[in-house]
Amino acid sequence: MNKEIRQIAIYGKGGIGKSTTTQNLTAALAESGKKVMVVGCDPKADSTRLLLGTLAQRTVLDTLRETGEDVELDNIMRTGFGGIRCVESGGPEPGVGCAGRGIITSIGLLEHLGAYTKDLDYVFYDVLGDVVCGGFAMPIREGKAQEIYIVASGEMMALYAANNIAKGIAKFAQKGGVRLGGIICNSRNVDREKDLLRAFCAELGTQMIHFVPRDNLVQRAEINRKTVIEYKPNSQQADEYRQLAKAINENDYFIIPKPMSQERLEEILLEYGLMESLKDDYRI
Amino acid sequence: MSKAGLIEQERYTCAIGAMQTVVAIPKAVPILHSGPGCGEMIAGFFERSTGYAGGYTSPCTNFSEKEVVFGGINRLRDIINNSYKVLDTDLQVVLTGCTAGIVGDDVDSLVFEFADEGKPIVSVETAGFKATNYEAHSLVVNAIIDQYVSRFESDNKPKSEKNTVNLFASIPYQDPFWKGNLAEYKRLLAGIGLKANVLFGPESGGVKEWQTIPRAAFNILVSPWYGKEIADYLKTKYGQEYTWFHHIPIGANQTEAFLTQVLEFAIQEGAEVDERKAREFIKHESRVYYEEIDNLATFLLEFRYGLPNHVHILHDAGYVVALSKFLLHEVGIIPKEQFITDATPEKYQEAICDDLKSTSDKRQIPLYFEPDAGNAQEILRKIQHKGRGLIIGSGWDKELAKEKGYDFLSAAIPSPYRLILTSNYAGFTGGLRVIEDIYHIVLSTYA
Repeated sequence: MNKEIRQIAIYGKGGIGKSTTTQNLTAALAESGKKVMVVGCDPKADSTRLLLGTLAQRTVLDTLRETGEDVELDNIMRTGFGGIRCVESGGPEPGVGCAGRGIITSIGLLEHLGAYTKDLDYVFYDVLGDVVCGGFAMPIREGKAQEIYIVASGEMMALYAANNIAKGIAKFAQKGGVRLGGIICNSRNVDREKDLLRAFCAELGTQMIHFVPRDNLVQRAEINRKTVIEYKPNSQQADEYRQLAKAINENDYFIIPKPMSQERLEEILLEYGLMESLKDDYRI
Repeated sequence: MSKAGLIEQERYTCAIGAMQTVVAIPKAVPILHSGPGCGEMIAGFFERSTGYAGGYTSPCTNFSEKEVVFGGINRLRDIINNSYKVLDTDLQVVLTGCTAGIVGDDVDSLVFEFADEGKPIVSVETAGFKATNYEAHSLVVNAIIDQYVSRFESDNKPKSEKNTVNLFASIPYQDPFWKGNLAEYKRLLAGIGLKANVLFGPESGGVKEWQTIPRAAFNILVSPWYGKEIADYLKTKYGQEYTWFHHIPIGANQTEAFLTQVLEFAIQEGAEVDERKAREFIKHESRVYYEEIDNLATFLLEFRYGLPNHVHILHDAGYVVALSKFLLHEVGIIPKEQFITDATPEKYQEAICDDLKSTSDKRQIPLYFEPDAGNAQEILRKIQHKGRGLIIGSGWDKELAKEKGYDFLSAAIPSPYRLILTSNYAGFTGGLRVIEDIYHIVLSTYA
């Protein structure tokens, strides 16, 4: 069968849980028999730690820096949990050089080395925080990821970032086929989180593809350098990630987002973020 | 900064073209932290512009993708170190290109490391998108004053030499006559009793002269706009006032005016000059000049065939205004539409218009500020005037002159059809040289 590789980029505010979500999600996809590659697009190179069970592998850019242009695919790609192929783009030292260009260089190199083989079902790009410059938009430019999911929570700053990312997507969607597939809520247990996220999604014109509840199990698995799928396959949380994987696998609702004005975003936050009963209770 | 969008036949370069400002200082070397094409482009644009260590010999980090991603500081450190091994230079000026500017390499800190060891090294940001070379010339000069000259302040007390002046006039290499002009200014200023630091070219004393910049009693700026920032900077830094002559003095009228202005300013600033002797010098120079004008007049009267009666000039503001004044009043060639191609910042344009307007109260000289010289040529193509015309411009205007059947004098860069070494257009002798050049070209059409 001649199938297209589904290329998916995951964006979201820094620290929101993109890497954790991506790794658990891809682990669930791999478990169901899918062939997956994960490309970490973050200079911190921490996108594949749970899949490989080890701290950051040698990154594409480290390899380029140390061994020069003559790179083999084996030098930069490792196989992790469930046969998932893991690549970390890496980046320059903090505060030096241009990480954005680094992403462009390493994705270019992956293509050149033939990393995108036909047997793949999915390629996931786990991209750093915000779309700060052209380099970090690389995965959603023409010919790369066609689907985007934004990881968000009910926290105000997460939604600000998500809205900003939606602006980037809307811009690239005008020229190419990139579409927003939905918002993944990585719950922070804030007030009326689900309602707020639903309202936010409706405003953008998209869906909340899954609500991942907060569970300490995720942290425990991370300390053990494992995804929840691997660490506690029978847990409720593992099932949540499986449901997310299933939802994404079956998703056919792709849209060009309609990012909202700051004022409108504030309105929604006010509407859902304040609960009368908690008005005067500031206990921590 | 240049106008947005596409333009044709730019007669200046981006900021990194100010590497020529460094090249013009004896035994100074520009070190380029830029892509390999930048220096190549500058060398090609200016031609015959190598100096001591410029042109194709300038050290360059050849900034490419690796440096973009990882930063180019280590490479720059290597290049600077290696330059010390192979070149014996008095001053090193690190200039950054666009890519280094975008990536944000911390060049200043690196250069400071070398400076801290006592190396005569300076850094200046000349990312091409920042400015034109006309503007970046001031950036480079001010950076050298700030980071190099200032190290010698204790031995060079500000304004300690009453008869010494710093002269800021031609931009080296952008003004094809810079070398000759500076030499002539120096000679003329010496004639009225002033010792001029010209800072560039063989008539300057190299870095030793730069070190004495603070000593000057005052400064002279000969320019419609470029270089003004240097004079302003020195005014704040060392309290040196400056006298500003807005165009190049070409021929007797303007050179007399220039020297008189400087002389009076010098006296006002407390210079110990012999005014009578100085005025005598001006008179003498003038007399020598007018003897030749006499000869020119005879020639013009006697010559029975066609000679150009009007002129279009495509040049920077200093030359357009200066040549218009000179040709109208001292040669009898009428300035018609004129084109200033140096991307003059808007804030200076009005003063330049007024300066040109003051040329004559009897005739208007239409003036265009047109950094797009292709556009200037288009305008010229559609203009017709009676009689034989003359175009003074860059080598790129030769074809247009041919098309229009005009005489053509190459006096701006790029100048592929003319080799200029030490000729000057400034001063009394400069005026005579302009006359020689024009009629050499005109007469050579009669076989």
